[in-house]
Parts: sequence; C-alpha cells; structure tokens
Amino acid sequence: MSGSVRDWIDRLERWGTAAENGVLVLLLTTMILLAVGQIILRLFFSIGFVWADELISLTVLWVAIVASVAAARSDRHLRIDALSHFVPEKYARIPRVIVDAFAAGMCMFLAWHAFRYIQLLVEYEDTVLTDVPAWIAFAVVPIAFALMAYRFMLLSGKGALRIFSGDDSAEEDPA
Amino acid sequence: MIFTVILILLAVFGAPLFTIIAASAMLGYVKEEIDLMAIIIEVIGISSLPFLSAIPLFTFAGYVLSESNAPARLVRLTRALLGWMSGGLALVALAACAFFTAFTGASGVTIIALGAILYPALQQDGYPDRFNLGLVTSAGSLGLLFAPSLPLILYGVISNVSIDDLFRAGILPGMLMLVLLSGYSMWVSRRNKQELRSFSFKELGGALRESIWELPLPIVVLGGIYSGFFAVSEAAAVTALYVLIVEVLILKEIKLSELPQVMRDSMLLVGGILIILGVSLASTNYMIDAGVPQRLLEYMSGFVSSPASFLFLLLIFLLILGAILDIFSAIVLVVPLILPIAAEYGINEVHLGIVFLASMQLGYLTPPVGLNLFIASYRFDKPIMHVYSATFPFLVILLLSVLIITYWPSLSLWLL
Repeated sequence: MSGSVRDWIDRLERWGTAAENGVLVLLLTTMILLAVGQIILRLFFSIGFVWADELISLTVLWVAIVASVAAARSDRHLRIDALSHFVPEKYARIPRVIVDAFAAGMCMFLAWHAFRYIQLLVEYEDTVLTDVPAWIAFAVVPIAFALMAYRFMLLSGKGALRIFSGDDSAEEDPA
Repeated sequence: MIFTVILILLAVFGAPLFTIIAASAMLGYVKEEIDLMAIIIEVIGISSLPFLSAIPLFTFAGYVLSESNAPARLVRLTRALLGWMSGGLALVALAACAFFTAFTGASGVTIIALGAILYPALQQDGYPDRFNLGLVTSAGSLGLLFAPSLPLILYGVISNVSIDDLFRAGILPGMLMLVLLSGYSMWVSRRNKQELRSFSFKELGGALRESIWELPLPIVVLGGIYSGFFAVSEAAAVTALYVLIVEVLILKEIKLSELPQVMRDSMLLVGGILIILGVSLASTNYMIDAGVPQRLLEYMSGFVSSPASFLFLLLIFLLILGAILDIFSAIVLVVPLILPIAAEYGINEVHLGIVFLASMQLGYLTPPVGLNLFIASYRFDKPIMHVYSATFPFLVILLLSVLIITYWPSLSLWLL
C-alpha cells in the first residue's frame, strides 16, 4: 500500500474514533443531566417533563447504536470466544475470516432494512418528541449498521490478507 | 434445520452473537412471511423498555470508580473492619469484591481493579498461592445477586418482574454464597500462623476519613432504592453524576482529558449488551409467536412431572449455558422462553430470576470459556489450567449454594 493512501486511511480511522468518542460523551452527559434534572424537578417542584423522559429513552437507543459501532471498531462485540483460547492464533484466523464476513453481510442486511424503515417513516410523517420527524431520530440506525458492515469487512479482509501473506505475528491491539 | 446447524457453527467459530441472533430472527420471519423490516422495529423498541438507562449509567459509574483509587480505599476500609479476625484478609477480599461487583455490574473489572491489590496482600499474609488465586478469581463475580448489579436489572427489564423485588430477593442468597465461601476461607487459613493484627480504632478512623467521599454512595443508592425513594434508573443517574463529581472534580484522580476514554471503554460493553438485547427482542418475539415455549413444555411434560425435577433440569441446562454464553446474552435470549414454562410448573418468577443468575454466576468460573478464569490467567500471569484447578474448590462451594438457592425458594422470597 502506498504511503499517502495509508496516511489517509490512518487519518480517517483517528477521526472516526474521535467522532465516536465525542458522540458518546455528548450522549452520556445529556443522559445524566436530563435524568438528574428530572429528579430535582420531581423532588422540589413535583413536576416533570414528558419530553425529557422520551429524550432519555432515545438517548439510550443512540448510545446503544453508537457504542455498537465503537465496539465493532475495537472488536469488542460479545462472541463465544472458545476457539481463540485453545487453538493457536494461526489456525484460529481462518474461521475468523469467515465469521467476520458473515457478520458484515448481516450488518449490510440490517442496514438495508433499517433504510427501508426510515423511508417509511418519512412517508408516514411519524414524529417523536411531539413534533420532531421520527426519521431524524432513527436515521442513525441504518448508518450505524452500514459502518459496522464496513468494520467487519475490514476485519475479515485483514485476516484474509494475513493468511495469504503467511504473516504469523500476533494481531496488534485495536484502538 | 440446515440453516440452524450453520448458525450454530458460525456462533461456535466466534461470529458476533448479535449477528447470529439477527440471522435466526431473519429465518423465522421469512418462514412466517413477516416483513424483515420488523426486525429493525424491534431493535428500535429497546428505547421503550423501562429503566433501561440504568444499564449505561451504572456501567459508566463502575468504570469511573475502578479507574480511580476507590478500590484501594475500599480494601483499606474493609481491612480495618474485618482484618483482625482469623482468616480476616480472605474475608476482606470476599466482602470487598462482592460490594464492588454489585456496584460495577459484572464485567470482569473487579478482578482487575481489586485483584491487583488483594492478590499480593494475601500472599504477603502467608496464604497459600493456589487459595489466593482461586479466591480472587471466584470473588470477581460474587456480588452478582446484590443491588444494583446489571444482571439483576437486565433480568427485571426482560421479564417484567419488579426490579425492586429482585433487589430484595437477591440479598439472602447472595449472603449465603458469601457465608459459605467465608467459612471455607477460615477453614483453610486455620493453619496460617501469621500473627493477627489487632483491631484499631485509629486505622478504622483513618480509613473512614480517606473514603469520606465514597461513603455516602452506597447509603444514598441502596437506601434510595430499597426505600422506594428512587427508581433504579434515577439511582443510576445520581450515582453517575456523584461519582463523576467526586473522582474527577474533587479528588481529581481521573483527569478531565481521560474521561472520554473511560466513557468509551464503559460504553463498549453497553453497546455489546444492548445490541444483543435489540435483536433478541426480534428473535424471541418470533419464537413466542411460533409457540416455541409451548412446544418445549409439551415435550418436557412427557418426562418432567414435578417442579423439583423441572428445577433440576433447568439447573443442568443453565450450568451448560453459563459455560458457553456470557450472562447478559443468556438473560436476553433464554429468559423469555423459560418464563412461561417455569410458570406452568408453579415456579415464582422472582425465585426463577435468582436461580438463573446464581447459576450463571458459576458460568464465570466454568471451563472452557469462563470469563473470570481468563481475566485472572491474563492478569496474574498464570497458566489457564492452573487457574482452573485453583478455582475448583470455590466452584464446588458455589455449586452447593446454587443447589440450596434453587431448592429453598423462601430464601429468595423471604424479604419480599
């Protein structure tokens, strides 16, 4: 791979990680402040906002989706991780190429149906938080599955390259 | 059938579990001719589950605590309280780990945060090495049954059982595990000739002063939850904000610039759990529509007639399940299917939850894939076979306590 392309990809990866972290920080902080705010309102003023509860619920969904993308990057999705403990890394790599390709396919499939769902939401003009178009709230879902598909494809491709090039070195620690 | 076999093979070879579950939901929906978009609607449906914000918030608070010096302070305080007894340090290890695990979910952080302090301390006090390794490894998931542990919350969210009831139900079974392990530890250390430290008010005072900022936390959280003053999600928000203020702004043990990384690390686990939860909603929906629980029940009623034999079968199933699946995936996948069956056999759903989690706790310690075994092997640089055998006596004791918990429902239901 030529140097400039590699630099460009590295930069993209760094920006990607920073974007994930930024969004997670924002979402988590929002969630904490909203929830504590609701408690203070309930205790001292005996009131609460319905929209705040709905927004907290949406924030949980967004955290789940964005954190899933981050977990795909850091290779931290839950797996039945039996093989890697008992089979030498060199041989455990072959099935990993296959299962990651499968994961990429599934994520692409989920991204496609999430996209169809968003189209439907636009068509029916569904709303959340009283008057926000629902598709805005859920547009992150197809994007996230597409990003995960890309990530698993990359994992699978990297693994395949290592097998063909006969590289025996251990996998570097993902970010 | 052939697809099911392929999916199982892919899972065993290490495909991310959420993709396997999504694929099985897809197959089911295709068979029932339901639009596959429904899978996405189910995934989005996690935003309408009650109390779910407690999971990211408690996980985050737990990560912040384990990154600060709170583990060291907790050990010092527990030591000042219990260290003077025979086998005291082992009791300290058990109590501190149980407490810490309850507050940090059950993600393996206990072994890393507390084990690193306790393991060398135990060695210094002359306990046998095998014992120390087994103790620290098995204590890493000990607080699972105490509020506000993540698996208890997740079980409540999935089963629609009151989370407050689960928090109450877990107390005595959790204590039983602690007492049995403490008894074993005292018996092992009876030959330890190390001179006992005497109880010191001065040390206790120092330890209390040092932990002054963290002391209100369990009181506010547990008091708030058990008195009904806070919903579990509210308690989680208060904990997260409080921990953030104390460790970052007051004690400054975590720099503001390190916070995004801590948030990311904690959310990686949360993302992994919640995405599995989302796709599981889709797959269990299909399975319940297709009458899978009823068919399982019909099949089982042929040879399982009494609640006792049902529980026995359940226990065996859960122990096998725990050995291959992590506790979070197991809860979201299996609980919706066994709840209706257990109800037919007259098993209380709160008791079922405690049995489920207690059995899954053993899964952290059972070969081949017990999470704690690998974390301990990695953290303390010991061969995995050595960790297996060191943990074995503790596993036997925990198995005994799981049997008691299973066949003595009132232990779980006493405090309801």
